[in-house]
Amino acid sequence: MEWIALALFSTFILFQMLYIFIPLYTIKGNKDVKKLKVEKGFSILIPAFNEEKTILNCLQGIVNLNYKNFEAIFINDGSSDQTLELLTDYLDLRPLSRTSSTFTQFERINGFYQSEKHPNIFVLDKANGGKADALNAGIAYSLRKLVITLDADSILEPNALTVMNQAFEDKKVIAAGGMVQISQGFTGSHVKPKPVFNVPGLIRYQIIQYLTDFYLHKTTQAKLKSITVIAGAFGAFQKQALIEVNGYRKTVGEDLDITLRMHKLIKAKYKKHKLIFVPNACCYTECPENYRGLFSQRFRWQKGFIDCLIHFRKSYFKNLGIPVSIYILIDSLILGTLNAYPTMIIPIILLITKNYEMALFFLAITFLLALSRSMVAMVVAGRFGHHYSNWDKLKVSLFIPFEILTYRLLGLVFVTVGTILFFKNKNSWNRVDRVGMNKQNYGEGIRIPRKEVG
Amino acid sequence: MRRVLFNLLFSTGFVFIFSFLIYSFSDTLVHAFLPGSSIFPKDQTISLSKCQDWTQEVRDFQLEPGEEANRITVLMYHKIIDDQQIQDIHYNDDQVLQETIVLKSEFENQMAVLKKHDYVTLTKAEFQLFLENKLDIPKNSVLITFDDGFKNNYHEAYPILKKHNFTALNFVITSHVTPEESKYDPIGQQYFSIADMKKSCDVFDFESHSYNFHKRDEDGEAYLIAKNKESIKQDIAVSLINLNSEVPLFSYPYGEYDNETIEAIRDLNIKAAFTVLYDDVRPGVDLYEIPRKTVFPDDTIEDFKEKINLK
Repeated sequence: MEWIALALFSTFILFQMLYIFIPLYTIKGNKDVKKLKVEKGFSILIPAFNEEKTILNCLQGIVNLNYKNFEAIFINDGSSDQTLELLTDYLDLRPLSRTSSTFTQFERINGFYQSEKHPNIFVLDKANGGKADALNAGIAYSLRKLVITLDADSILEPNALTVMNQAFEDKKVIAAGGMVQISQGFTGSHVKPKPVFNVPGLIRYQIIQYLTDFYLHKTTQAKLKSITVIAGAFGAFQKQALIEVNGYRKTVGEDLDITLRMHKLIKAKYKKHKLIFVPNACCYTECPENYRGLFSQRFRWQKGFIDCLIHFRKSYFKNLGIPVSIYILIDSLILGTLNAYPTMIIPIILLITKNYEMALFFLAITFLLALSRSMVAMVVAGRFGHHYSNWDKLKVSLFIPFEILTYRLLGLVFVTVGTILFFKNKNSWNRVDRVGMNKQNYGEGIRIPRKEVG
Repeated sequence: MRRVLFNLLFSTGFVFIFSFLIYSFSDTLVHAFLPGSSIFPKDQTISLSKCQDWTQEVRDFQLEPGEEANRITVLMYHKIIDDQQIQDIHYNDDQVLQETIVLKSEFENQMAVLKKHDYVTLTKAEFQLFLENKLDIPKNSVLITFDDGFKNNYHEAYPILKKHNFTALNFVITSHVTPEESKYDPIGQQYFSIADMKKSCDVFDFESHSYNFHKRDEDGEAYLIAKNKESIKQDIAVSLINLNSEVPLFSYPYGEYDNETIEAIRDLNIKAAFTVLYDDVRPGVDLYEIPRKTVFPDDTIEDFKEKINLK
C-alpha cells in the first residue's frame, strides 16, 4: 500500500516539477508582435448555439482585429434564442451562394449570408447538430487555408491573428493553441487590457488555473511534444489536416478529440510536423461566475476526457506516439482522474495504513509544489506582460495558499462526478449559463450598440 | 538579468525547502519503505507494564519433602517455523536445517511431553528465588527461553505455549522491534512488532538481548567482547528503556561475554544473565553465567527428554 502511494506520489512530483521548471527556464518572455508583410488567409469559425448574450462581444473582437486577410463565419447551430436575429440586425446580412466542400456530412444548411457592413464576415445558418457538426459545416464553407476555431463567448485580442500568422510561418506547424484568458480578470479597453484581481474567489480560482494551465502546462507539453488539448475556445489548424481526419467527431470533448487526431495524423503521415502553443495569441473568454455554471462546465470537460480516453483506447503509443500517450494516461488519467487528486487520495491511503507522519509529509510536499507552480505561473505570466498592480500582487499572494487548500479541492468533485456522469448519461450536452458581463469596452468610437434582448 | 536571477533564486529556494522537507521526514520515510534498515527509536518505551505483572508472581507449590528440585533445565529456542513453510532458505550449505530453527511439529511434540509429565514453567521471580535457594520448586520444573525476538515466536510458538498454559522468557534485540505491523512471512528475518508483543505478553516475559549489539565486528568478534564497557553499557541501557522492566534479565548475544561485560550489566542493575553453556541449573550458580540447553532441529524426542532430565 505504501509503495503504491510512493510510486504515485513520485510520478506526481516528477510531472509537477516539469510543469514548474521547463516554463521557468524556457520562457524568456517576448511581448513584441512582429507584423509580417504577407498575411496568410484565416477562416475564423464561430459555432454558436443560443449565444445571444455573448455573440456580439465576440463579434466586437472580430471587427477590431488588426488583420485584413481573414473571413469570419458565425455558424448558428439551430439556436432557439435571438442569436441569429442579433447577427442579422447588426451585420446587415445578404444571402450569398457558396459551394461547400463535401469532405464530411453535417446537418441541413438553411442559408449562407454575407454582411454588407463587414464583407469578410459571414453567417451560416444550419439545423442543430452540436458543436462538432457546426464546425464541420464551417470547415466545408470556409475558403482559406488556415482555420481558427473560436468559441462564441470568446473575444479575440486585436493582435491574435497577427501572432498566429507569424506562428504558421513555420511550415511544420499543423495546429496551434492560443492563450485563453478569463475576461472577468481584465478591465479597461481591449486594446490595452489591464489585469485585475478584485473579483470573487471563484473567478480568482479560475484565473490562476487558466494562467497555470496555459502558460505552464501548454508550454511544457509543447516542449515535450505532448500537447493533449488545443482548447476549443481558441485554436488554429491547417484546414487540410482537419479535412484529412474527416473533421470533428460528435463528442462533448471535441477539442481533445481533434487534438489527439492531429497527433495520429502526425504519427501516421507528417512525421516532422508539430502542434504548438502560441502564448502571445490571446483571446478572452467569460468563465462561469457561479458554482452551478462551473460544475456544469467541468463535468462536461471531464465527460469529454473520459469519452476520448475510451475512444482512443486502441491508439495509445503506437498510433498516437509516446509523449502524448504518456501525458494522457499518466498525467491526465492516473494523476488527474483515477487519483482524483493526489493531494487527497494519497493521504487517504496513508491514513488507512495509519501512517500519519507520512501523510503529513505528502501534504507538505504537495503544498510546496502547488505553491511553487502557482508562483511560477504568475511570474511567467508577468513575462508575457500580464502585470498586476502591487496591490493586486499582494492579493494574489495571499489568495494562492488559501486557494490551494480550498477551491482547488473542487477538482476532486469535477473529475469524480464528471466521470460518474459520463457513464450514466453519455450524450447530454450541458451548457454554461452565460451572464454576458463584460468589464472591457472598445471606447466610444467603436462601441456596438447592444440590442435589448426580450 | 532579472529573469536569470529570479530563476536561480527560485530554484535554490525550491531545492532548499524540498530537501529540508525530505530531511525532516527522513526517519518516517526510511521506516515506511525500508523496514529492514530501520531501527526502533532509542527513547521509546514499549508499554507492557501491567501485562508483565505475572512475571513477578511466586506460587506456593506445597511440596512434600523430597519432591523439591535440586536442578532444573533452562531450554533455549530461536526460530519456530511451520513444517509446511520450510523453504530452501531455511537450510544451510550442507542441506540441513539451520541450527536456530525448530520445526513447529517438533516444538508441539516437545511441549506435549512437558504437559504430559506435568512440567511447570517458572516465572522469573520463582526462578530467581530457586537460584537463591529461597523457594522450593517441583522436580519437573523448566524455564523456556527464546533468543532474538523473532516474529515467528508470536505466530507459531505463542499459540502452543498458550494452549498448554506455559510461559517463557523472550530475549529481544529491541532495535529490531517494529512500530508498524507487517504481514508475517516465514522466509523473512522478521522480528516482533509492538502489536505482537502486546498480544503475547501474557505468555512471553520480554527481556533484553541488547539494543543493537547482536553483531560482530570485522574480525568476527562479538560486540559484547570487542566494544568497550561504556558503549556496551550504553547499548544495553537503551534496551532497558525500551522494555522498561522492573527486574531486568539479559541473555548474551552469541552467548559471548567476558568479565567487562558482566561488570557492565551488573552496573545496569540487571539481575541475571543467560549464557549458552550446556548444563543444568542448580541453586547457587553464578547469576551472570546461567547455563541453558539449546534445542536443536535434529533433536529426537528422546534427546529432548534427556535435556529435561526425564528418564
